[in-house]
Formats: sequence, structure tokens, C-alpha cells
Amino acid sequence: MLQADLTIILPEIILSIYAMLALVAAVYTGKDKAAPMLVWITSALFVVLAVWIGMNGEGSTEAFGGMFIEDAFSRFGKVTILLSAAAVLVMSQDYMHRRGLLRFEYPLLVALAVVGMMVMVSSGDLMTLYMGLELQSLSLYVIASLRRESAKSTEAGLKYFVLGALSSGLLLYGASLVYGFSGTTLFAGIIEAAQGDYLPLGMLFGLVFMASGFAFKVSAVPFHMWTPDVYEGAPTPITAFFATAPKVAAMGLFARVMHDAFGGMVGDWQQIVALLAVLSMFLGAIAAIGQRDIKRLMAYSSIAHMGYALMGLAAGTAFGVQAMLVYMAIYVTMNIGTFAFILSMEKDGQPVTSIDSLNLLARAEPGKALAMLVLLFSLAGVPPLVGFFGKFYVLRAAYDAGLVWLAVAGVVASVIGAFYYLRIVYFMYFGEESEGLDGGKSAMLSGFLMASAAIMLIGIVNLFGIETPAAMAAAQLVN
Amino acid sequence: METVILFAPLVGAIIAGFGHRIIGDKAAQVVTTAMLFLAMALSWIVFLGHDGQMQQIEILRFIQSGDLNTSWGIRLDRLTTIMLVVITSVSALVHFYSIGYMAHDENFSEEESYRPRFFAYLSFFTFAMLTLVTSDNLVQMFFGWEGVGVASYLLIGFYFRKDSANAASIKAFVVNRVGDFGFALGIFGLFMMTGSIQFNDIFAAAPELAETTLTFLWRDWNAANLLAFLLFVGAMGKSAQLFLHTWLPDAMEGPTPVSALIHAATMVTAGVFLVARMSPLMEFAPDTMAFVTFLGATTAFVAASIGLVQNDIKRVIAYSTMSQLGYMFVAAGVGVYSVAMFHLFTHAFFKAMLFLGAGSVIHGMHHEQDMRNYGGLRKKLPMTFWAMMIGTLAITGVGIPLWTISGMPIGFAGFVSKDAIIESAYVGTMGGYGFWMLVIAALFTSFYSWRLMFLTFYGEARGDKHTHDHAHESPMIMLVPLGVLAIGSITAGMIWYGSFFGKQNEVIKYFGGHYTAPAEELAKEVAANNPKASKLKYVMEDAPGEAAIYIKPENTVLHEAHYVPTWVKLSPFVAMVIGFLTALWFYIWNPSIPGRLAANQRPLYLFLLNKWYFDEIYDFLFVKPASMIGRFLWKRGDGSTIDGMLNGLAMGIIPFFTRLAGKAQSGYLFTYAFAMVIGIVALITWMTLAGGAR
Amino acid sequence: MEEMLREYLPILVFLAVAVGLGLVLILAAILVAVRNPDPEKVSAYECGFNAFDDARMKFDVRFYLVSILFIIFDLEIAMLFPWAVAFKDLSMVAFWSMMVFLGVLTIGFAYEWKKGALEWE
Repeated sequence: MLQADLTIILPEIILSIYAMLALVAAVYTGKDKAAPMLVWITSALFVVLAVWIGMNGEGSTEAFGGMFIEDAFSRFGKVTILLSAAAVLVMSQDYMHRRGLLRFEYPLLVALAVVGMMVMVSSGDLMTLYMGLELQSLSLYVIASLRRESAKSTEAGLKYFVLGALSSGLLLYGASLVYGFSGTTLFAGIIEAAQGDYLPLGMLFGLVFMASGFAFKVSAVPFHMWTPDVYEGAPTPITAFFATAPKVAAMGLFARVMHDAFGGMVGDWQQIVALLAVLSMFLGAIAAIGQRDIKRLMAYSSIAHMGYALMGLAAGTAFGVQAMLVYMAIYVTMNIGTFAFILSMEKDGQPVTSIDSLNLLARAEPGKALAMLVLLFSLAGVPPLVGFFGKFYVLRAAYDAGLVWLAVAGVVASVIGAFYYLRIVYFMYFGEESEGLDGGKSAMLSGFLMASAAIMLIGIVNLFGIETPAAMAAAQLVN
Repeated sequence: METVILFAPLVGAIIAGFGHRIIGDKAAQVVTTAMLFLAMALSWIVFLGHDGQMQQIEILRFIQSGDLNTSWGIRLDRLTTIMLVVITSVSALVHFYSIGYMAHDENFSEEESYRPRFFAYLSFFTFAMLTLVTSDNLVQMFFGWEGVGVASYLLIGFYFRKDSANAASIKAFVVNRVGDFGFALGIFGLFMMTGSIQFNDIFAAAPELAETTLTFLWRDWNAANLLAFLLFVGAMGKSAQLFLHTWLPDAMEGPTPVSALIHAATMVTAGVFLVARMSPLMEFAPDTMAFVTFLGATTAFVAASIGLVQNDIKRVIAYSTMSQLGYMFVAAGVGVYSVAMFHLFTHAFFKAMLFLGAGSVIHGMHHEQDMRNYGGLRKKLPMTFWAMMIGTLAITGVGIPLWTISGMPIGFAGFVSKDAIIESAYVGTMGGYGFWMLVIAALFTSFYSWRLMFLTFYGEARGDKHTHDHAHESPMIMLVPLGVLAIGSITAGMIWYGSFFGKQNEVIKYFGGHYTAPAEELAKEVAANNPKASKLKYVMEDAPGEAAIYIKPENTVLHEAHYVPTWVKLSPFVAMVIGFLTALWFYIWNPSIPGRLAANQRPLYLFLLNKWYFDEIYDFLFVKPASMIGRFLWKRGDGSTIDGMLNGLAMGIIPFFTRLAGKAQSGYLFTYAFAMVIGIVALITWMTLAGGAR
Repeated sequence: MEEMLREYLPILVFLAVAVGLGLVLILAAILVAVRNPDPEKVSAYECGFNAFDDARMKFDVRFYLVSILFIIFDLEIAMLFPWAVAFKDLSMVAFWSMMVFLGVLTIGFAYEWKKGALEWE
């Protein structure tokens, strides 16, 4: 029995043991000198685990009496998380190294955060949920302030920590209400209690509080305020990490709880999620217009994108979850490419994040500018790039679920949002003469940028076949 | 073979249009011209060898959607073969002629490669026109119909640096659009009623349509009449019939070979062809037919009256074309489609020749088009003079009336076909409005044609002396087509008289039909109506659509037209002589009369000179209001409302919210925490009020 | 109605006792206590800092490090305590679970030791 349970959570165990052993080993031997190697090993381990999970997993199994669920949905989330974390880790190596930020704790904290995320998407119980969430969050708080000597970085870490604690409090309060009204922390038990037309008000309050906690993690409006500051303050590779894997995990957890625990009250949470979605889409689009710093801009961009993903969730159907998963996978791919570009923005060896520095980039580096153009068009959802199909998917899901107003709002918001993406394109191609960028000749970053842009173009054929696993995942989540 | 005829011009157009940079200007001209001569040779073989039986040749599938099933096909029957020879012959000759005419052009510099473009357009036009006449369904026909419209637009505006040419091309396109709208409605209606756009199906359903009513514009109409009328609206546009005619004179802005090919011989006759092609439907639409007759006669008269006073040599011929088209519609309207086609056929020869002759004069006179600046050119342009003379003799209808050699009349082509129309009109309108209008128009035709000849080739040289000194005969390449067309203008009428306007059995057989003896009552009725006529022996036996044209047994105009009173037969001849003598008097014997007459009858003169003020009326009725509405929608609707709204939104409201969002992002932790608390309070409140919990 | 009120009776009693006790203590202090004030005695107590001072004063961050580490091990005791009380009835799984937990904690402890988090200077 125990043996079977442990087998199911073997990937998580392997990753945690690796992180702990590597921590001790590194601290007693080479310390930061071991960091580059640890980055490679950690990424390699991520990829291996991703392949393992992707290949081996089958059907839906439970461990520890339903506290931990291993199904197609969790596998989809885990593979996305692991691969994107590996990509970001590899991308960040050079940048961190040159700025003296490459401490050996960095890859290990990422590994621990990933363990937390994996637990999040697999959680089948309020306890597991909270454990995964906190493991992830605490690791992220630390790496947000990795650059200790920078006031901005520490400010970012502190803000993230305090607000994160507040949101954890909300979540816990909600969880305790739910526990109180259902008498169990198992999702399977909660869903039985939360059925029918006449629900106790406490259950509803619990739902709202828990949803608020998740909304903080996915940075949905109005729980988004930390995002721009943290994105701007944290070192760029860490911003890239924040923008990718944790978003997938949080979105996965959101979907998991809404469908597994509150599947009987879709009508209620649908309103909350739809409201969060529409607010996020509009605020992300509108606030980003005022940004001149590309990292802050990407923060608002990610808020807007989370709005679209939430639109898929708001549909409350299996197709909606499928749309959300596809959207998240596309979003992560686009963001990796975009951040590879941002990481390569530098002048005189110093990182630059101002949009104005991109003026006439197309003349200096036409290939890079073109790849970025493709990515920005894709982010804006311009057909026929892959980003358009992501948006199309969630819009269709919302429309099919009868949320026509939400779909219309999404279209309007995407029109507004297109402005700030296209403005970057404008700067790159038709801007004014100004001091441009130099350096940024990293082959690694260029490779990620080009690959991501190529995926945006080639993916229109069949989205690399992610629809089928996403559909399976959604089907197993929503019964 | 038919496929080769159809596609040879297209191949030429593509090679010349897209490949002229590779093969060069000269080769492009030669290729297109050679393709047209090939098509012409094959067309004559098809025409002379055709036995009248209808063939259908499918080329490829075109549109298949629901009930709509269209293929590219060729419907080869007598009508098609006639049109094939007319189009390919005139087109080939015009191509040939254009090599000389377009060799130098003051509108383009020498380096510009304008000639291949011109030839590509001409060939493309020919292809579209052939598509139109060979089609076996209405959609393909509409494709060709619009194709010739496009080609016409491109060629009228060929001198794109001239504002007047651009305006004329747009006018031609827009006015034709009105007609095409009717045509399209007609096609829709036929598809709605019969579920098919194939001619065979539509023709077979024609008798049924005559019994059906159709609601259109809140009224019930007879389906056959309504649909025939809508199709005729299309024909009115393309064939420049009254009310939709204003584009044709302006279309003379194009190069003269274009006027000869498109605006005289082929495209403008598409409307007549359409009516003849739709004869199985038209025969069941008596009210529309009456309208066709009335409008054709009025057009013939109005156009001829305007032609009396025009000074631009091409405009005179343009109004003459319009007038002759009116003749053809009268013939079609009274039910003798064969005669309409006959006049179409002969008219193509002599009108193309007149235009090419006029082009030769213009070419020799350095692009001077005003006849008041001509005079005495007979000596300087002898060949052109003789060609124009033959054309004038043909159009005015010179021949020997009342005398035939074994049933064949003696006279120029126009004499034979025009007299046939006037005699048919006398029978068809019972000596009424249509007949008299045509006779008066014949008088006018004679007058303005001779006026053109006298002003151009006789009298004293007027205008710029320098131009006259340098006036020269055109090169051989331009004169040869004139010679070829001259042969047609002299003989076409006599040779094909029997086939188009002979005995009923002969005509029916020529158009691929079968004849039978009429019912006894019908023969008696005809005999009672027209005591002089011999007994009606033959009527058409075929069902609608089986032969190239359809003539109802009750339609005996063709038969009776041969037995009209002698004064009727003489009337066009007399009108012609009066017109000739008046012109002689006005412009040779006493040249001061026209000026005095114009001064005495100033209102009438201005009325005619200004083309009955059609352009001015249209400008007031349609153009000005449309432009006012357009201006209003542009300035107020688009500019103020839509742009204003969007600009306000994009430049006012959204930046306002952006600033607001920026302000909210204060950087203080308590603000952020406060936002979260506010958010959760709002959610809780909302869920408490709207949620499903109790 | 009465039944419900009766259920709340213990709370009422509890409130009365609390209020009573508080009053007794305050009154006892007023009545019985020796009054010999000096400045240190009358100032408010706050973890070794001056109570009414600039809130943004600088202090050593190591205070927090030590206190956080203290809290971690404090909580460890809180976890261990019930486990130890029920030790007799525990299964092997429960035993090894706690061992794993302690192992993880030890790794963290080893890390912070080696990192020098425990050294004041």
C-alpha cells in the first residue's frame, strides 16, 4: 500500500531528495563554484522527469487515500512546468553568472519550487494543496530577492512575501470554512457536500476566499498588484521564471479545486472566475499601455493573458479546461521566447529594460527583431500565429458555455492590448534614431528566441499535437 | 477547336501582359495579333461549317454549391457562331490596325512600354467577350459580361494621365453597374424560379414562367415579364440604350481602335445578343417586348437627333452606334431576332470600318478630332476617304429598292439589314410609333453621316494650317483592315439575306430549328390581317431552347414583313435620299445655312448639342445627391461619429484609465493589500447577493 | 429560545469571571502594591526597544534570523510532542514519517550552520 503510494509520488520524491542532497553537498564543498553545474544537472533532471511523466503516466490513480492525484491533467501540468522551468533555468545561467547572482541555492530553490508546483497540480486534498502552494511560494519569495544588495530586488521579495502571506491567509480561511461545512479536507468529500441548489453560505464564503487565494497566485485582478513591482524588481531570469511555470501550476490548481472540489457549484464559481477574467483582461491591456519598462509591460501582459486563461476556466466545461491548458502551454512558450529576448537586451554589459532602447533594432539585428515581431504578434493574438489560436480556443469555450458577453469583452480587450505589443514592433521597425543596444550575442538566448518564434509559425499546423493530451487531461478532470 | 478559339486570346493576353518584359514590345504585339488571327480563322471554319445543330462542350466545373451547379461550357449554336466570327474578325483586324495606330502616342513617352499593355487589354477583352457569347449558362455569361466591363474600363481609361479619360472610364463602369444590377437580379430571379442557371433548364421552364406570378417590390408581377425585363435592364446598360446611354459618347476618350472594337462592333451589341439568346423567355414576355421595341425606337431617334449637331468625329459615330443599337432592339422587340442579329452582323463591319477610318483621319491629322478643323482631306487621305465612303454608303442604306435578283436584294450591307428592320417594325408595331421613329432616324442617319463626309473630306481646309500641311495618309498596316472590312460592308447584307431575313423555313433551318405547317386558324388569321400576304406555310416546331432562337408559332412578323405596302418599302430609301440632299445643300451648296439655322433655332440647337441635357439631369438627380450623401456620411458619419468615437476612446478614455491604473500602482504595500481586501469584499458581497447559496 | 440561551450560559459565566478577575487584579494593584516609581519602571515594555522612538530605527537583521530559526525548531517541538505522547500506539509508517521530517529539518540545520547563519559575528 505504502509502496504503491510512494511509487506514484516518485518524481516528486526524487526531485526533493536531489534538492536536499545537492544543497548539503554544495554547501560543504564548492559552494557557488558548483552552481553552473547544478544548473545543468537540475535542468537535465527536469527534462528527464518530464519525459518520464509524459511517457509513463496512464489513466488516473490516487495516492495516500486520495490526497494526491495522478491523472492526465496533472501530467499535462507537470510536463509543462518541468519543461518551462528547465528552459528558463538554462536561459538564465549566463545572465546570472555575469552579474554574480549565480548562487548554488538558485537552481535548488527552483527545484524545490517545482516540487511544490507538482504537488499543487496533483493535490486531492486541502492539506496537499496548501503544502504544495507554500513550498512553491516560499521558494519564490526567496529567489525574488536573490539580489540582496539591490534595494529593488529585496523590496520585490518583501512585497511578494507580505502579500503572499495575506493571500495564504485568505486561502487558509477559505479552506477552514470549507472544511467546517463539509467535514472533510478531501476534494472527493467536499464535492459531495457542495452539491445541490441550497448550499450553506459558509461554503460559498469558503469558495470565494479560496478563489481569492488562487487569484493572487495567478495574479488576476484585483489580486494582481504585486505583479508589476515584483516582475520589475526581481532579476530578469527570475521574472521569466515567475511568468511561466508558477502560472501554470497556479492555474492548474485553480482548475483542479474548482472542478474536483466545487464541481457541484459551477454556476457560482463561474461568476467569480468570469469576473476575475474580464477585470484581468482589461486592466492588463489598459495599464500596460502606460509602461515604458519592458518587464513591467510583461507583467501586465501576463495579467491580461491570465484573464484569457481564466476565460477558458470560466466556461466550466471540459472544453473550457482544454482551452485553458492549450492557452497556458502556448502562453508559456511565447513567454520563454520573449524573455529570451529581454535577457539579451543589454548595453555596455548592463541589462536594459527600457522599451525606448529598442528603437530601430530591426536595422541592427534584423533576425532578432523579426523573431520578436512574430512573438509580439502572437502575444497580441494576430492570426495566423499560434497565439491567435490560443485566444480563439478560449473564446470559443466561453461562447459555447453561453458566456457571450465574456467572449465579446475578451475580443475588445485584445484589441486594446494589441496596441502596446504593436508599439514595440513600431519602435523596432520605424522608431527614431537613438542609442540602441549592443551585446546580447548569446547563442543560447538567440536559440530560444528563434525556436519560440518558429513554434509560433509552425505550430499553426496542428499546435504540435497538444490538443489531444489537453483534451484527455480536461476529460479526466471534469467528469 | 471551339476551346482554342476561346482561349487563344487569353493566352495572348497573358503572354503580352505578364511576359512583355521578357519577349519585348514587338513580340508581344505580334503574339496577340497572331493569336487573334488564329481564332478568326478557326471561327470562320466553325461558322461556315456549322449545320445549325446545337452542341454543348463542357470545359471544367466552375461553382457547385447546393442547387447551384455551374460548369464552364460552350453552347455552340448559330447565335454563337455568328458572334464568334464578328468578334474574332473585328478583333483580329483591330489588333492588326493597332500595330500601326499605337506605334506613336503623344500620351506616353517613347521609353514607356504601353503597347503590350494595350494589346493585352484588347486580347483580354476578346476573351471575355467570347466567354460571354459561348456560355451555356447565365453565371458564365455574367462572368464574361463583367469581364468585358472591366476590359472596357481599362481601355477607356488607357490614357490614364488624362483626367477626362479617367472620368469617362469611371462613368462607363458606374453606369454599367446599374444595368448589371438588373441583370444580376434577373439571374437571381431565374435561379429562384427554376432552380437552375443553365440555359436549357431555363428555356424549358419559360412557358411555365409565363403562367407564374412573382412578388417583387411589394407587387405581384408576371414572372416571365419581370425576369425578361430585369435581364433587359442589363442589356440596356451594356448596349447604351436610352437612360443608361450616357457613358457611350464619353467612352470615346479611349484610343480609336478600342472604340471600333468595343464600342461599335462587339461589346455594345452584347445586349442585343442577350435578348436574342433569351428569345425563348422573351417570346413569353409580351409586355417586356413592347417595352424593348418602344425603348429601341426612342433610342434610335434620340441618338440620331443628337448626332446631327455633334462636332467631334468620334462622337458622331458614337451616337450613330447608339442609334443603330436602337434599331436592333426594335427588331428584337417585335420578335424577329434573326433580323436583329442580321443588323448586328452587318453593323459590325461598317461601323468598325467607320471608326477605323475615323482613326485613320485622326492619325493623319495629328489627333485632331473636331470636324470643324477638317475639310478638303479627300486628296490627302485618298484610301481613307474611299473606305469612309463605303462605310457611309453602307450605314445610310444605299441600294436599289424593290428590285431583287432571284430573291436577293441589291445594296450595301446596311441597306439590306436596315430595311429588314423597318419593314419588320411596320408589321410589329402596325405602322405605329416604332416604325415612324425608325424612318425619321434613318433620315437623320443619312444627314449626319453625309455631314461627316462633307465636313471632313470636301470643301476648304479649315483650322490649323500647319496640321493640314502635314496631314498624311496612314501606313498600309492601318489601311489593310479597312479594305477587308469594306468587302464585308458591301457584301455581307446580300450574301446572308436569305439566312436571316428570307423565307420562314430558310431562317428557321438556319438557326437550327425545324419547321412545320401552322394550325389552320393561325394561317386564316394571318390572311385576314394582311390580305396581301401569301399563305403562312411554316412555323417553328421546336420547343423553347432547342434551336438557337425561338419563335412562337403565333409570332408571324417575319412572314408578314415580306408583304408590307410598297410605300413602306420605299420609306427608308426616301428618308436616306432626303437626308443626303439636305446634307449636300447644307454643307456643299450653301455652307452658311447651318450657322444661320443654329442661330435661328438656338434653343433646339443647344438642346441637341447638349445631348438632350441627359448628363445635366443625371448630375442633378443622382450624382449631386449621391455625392452629398457621401460627403455627409464621410464628414459626419465616418469623420465625426466613428473616427471621433474611436479617437475619443483610443486617445482619451483609455489613456485616462491607463493613468488611473498607473496611479493605483502606488508602490505602497498597504495599497496593494487594501486592493485585495476590497476585491474580496466585493466578491463576497456579490456572491452573497447573486450566488446560489441560501 | 430558552434552550439556546442556556447553551450560551457558560460563555456568560466565562465573561463574568474574566471581567471579575481583571477588576480584582487592577483593584488589588491599586490597593495593595508598593508605589516606588522610577523612569525605567514607568516606561512601556517592548522587546528591548524604546517604545516611543523612530519606528524606522536600524537594528541588526540577525535578530530576525535567529528568531525565525528559533520558531522553526519551536514548531518542530510542537509537532514532536503529540507524536511522542502517542509513541506506544504508533505504526512504523508514523515512526519513519517523523524520522524523514527530522531528517529534512537536519539537512536545513546543516545548511544554515555551514552557511554561518548561527554565528553572531
